[in-house]
Amino acid sequence: MDSTKLMKLREESGIKIIEIKTDLSSYAASDLRKMLEGLLAEKVEKVVVNLSQVSHINSTAVGALVGVAKRLRQSGGDLKICALADNLTRTFNLIGASSVVEIYESENSALAAF
Amino acid sequence: MAQADIQLQIPSAAFYIEPVRAFVGNLAKSLGFSRKRVADIQLVLDEVCSNAVHHGSVNATVGVKLCISIDTDTLAILVRDTGARHAGKKSWLTHERLSEIERNRSPNNESGHGIFIAKSLSDMHEMQTNASGGTDVRVVFRFLKPRDIEI
Repeated sequence: MDSTKLMKLREESGIKIIEIKTDLSSYAASDLRKMLEGLLAEKVEKVVVNLSQVSHINSTAVGALVGVAKRLRQSGGDLKICALADNLTRTFNLIGASSVVEIYESENSALAAF
Repeated sequence: MAQADIQLQIPSAAFYIEPVRAFVGNLAKSLGFSRKRVADIQLVLDEVCSNAVHHGSVNATVGVKLCISIDTDTLAILVRDTGARHAGKKSWLTHERLSEIERNRSPNNESGHGIFIAKSLSDMHEMQTNASGGTDVRVVFRFLKPRDIEI
């Protein structure tokens, strides 16, 4: 099964938006990493990941988001995430990733932050 | 009062973690854990199983075994791998390796958070090398109130 079918990619004002419609346990996290690395290979600089339809995220997925955010910043871009459920926020806070990746309440606020 | 054990075995592949996570989530919910605690239990299970699949198995056919035990006070989950995922390393659990992971854990790192999460969110966390040379990880979650289980 390919979970990237549940990861919708679109673009708005030059910013790539990934809307994820599946929980991010190990299997889907691997697909998310592949999708993000594909964007890096295309020299995309600005990415927003919308997690409004995600009810679970593990450390592999958080690590993928942290890693890509750091690499994008090296080239002047960034990855921002938005619309986290409370338990996802707790996971980011527990790992400490909320101090590394910018988190916004809504997709619009994440887009406006670029 | 009775104790119940549920035994599961999955292929050592990430794809099979998701259905187990869903099953354990439904079980924890049925046992009366709060929504927040169910999410904790599911996350810990995901992290422990991910380590077993990625670090603790020769290949997908070997499998990861789970034993889920329910009694009046606790829900306990044992995850057992067989080791030897990487050449030259049987069990991925060594005192030195664990110390290194814990010492180097940082929010900036992409990996190395799984054991920290399992320790942080469970009421008890144990790791030890098993008889087959792999790793056993046991996590325990306590009920807020003792249950009178009829199973």
